[in-house]
Amino acid sequence: MKKPKLVYTTFIRSTPKKTWDAISKPEFTRRYWGGMANVSDWKKGSKWEHHNPENEVWITGKVVESIPAKRLVLTWADPDDLKDKSRVTFEIEPMQDMVCLTVTHDRFQAGSKMVGKVSWGWPRVLSSLKTFLETGKGLNIFCRG
Amino acid sequence: MNNREDILQKTTFSYVTYIRSTPEKLWQALTTPGFNRQFFFGATQESAWKQGAAWRLMIPDGRVADSGEILEIDPPRRLVLKWRNEFMPELRAEGYSRMTLKIEKHGASVKLAILHEMDKPGSKLIEAVSEGWPPILSSLKSLLETGESLEETRRWPEGT
Repeated sequence: MKKPKLVYTTFIRSTPKKTWDAISKPEFTRRYWGGMANVSDWKKGSKWEHHNPENEVWITGKVVESIPAKRLVLTWADPDDLKDKSRVTFEIEPMQDMVCLTVTHDRFQAGSKMVGKVSWGWPRVLSSLKTFLETGKGLNIFCRG
Repeated sequence: MNNREDILQKTTFSYVTYIRSTPEKLWQALTTPGFNRQFFFGATQESAWKQGAAWRLMIPDGRVADSGEILEIDPPRRLVLKWRNEFMPELRAEGYSRMTLKIEKHGASVKLAILHEMDKPGSKLIEAVSEGWPPILSSLKSLLETGESLEETRRWPEGT
């Protein structure tokens, strides 16, 4: 069986800089990512963490590549299950008055528990990110029903 | 999200988006020509929107882009179309695909899920619609949330 690879592309009426900031600055992520924060200095080789609203670490990893407003590659793992590591790539491409944002989540370990969680999560998070950038207010994405 | 598939000898594309809107408004935008042309690259759908009715996607210059039939319809929740490309011979030769669209209320938003399937491996039609659905659905979301679709999706691409 082929290894899982999740690819989600969305087109946003925004700029590469604003899109980058919305992904990398906690004051923005909290407003559309269910109150979560992405914390790092976003330099190649640095650590990055995904925090819940209580500042507990939910996801941790390293910054593999970082070209501001263009490309960000991270490793991604639950801090309680570091062997189940995967990789996330954000690519931001300007197109006239909008950007094309492609998020690829791949390099999952065999039997990874992360695949199911992130296939559930990415469409929600990235839909809310687009709404946030275009209207100033994210969606209540983690609600039930 | 786009994954697995080839073990089943079929090609699929699936996409899920959440939109701040209601199922009724989303259904109206999806099935009304005046809304369609703002986010479907200027194209509009023609159908009586009843089970068994013919369905066509019309290019603004009068050509038929795709055609098929309504297999299931349950407004504003579910639509299943038989779908064949009509304007690109290589894609037309693949025959009919199936497109399933589902709408569910999700808190103050709606969840829209599209599944486009062809019962053969390596389908070029599915490859083509995988390029088309993300800008179309992104633009539909912008239209419903901000009143304005994405400009690039308001005209049919030149030379195609």
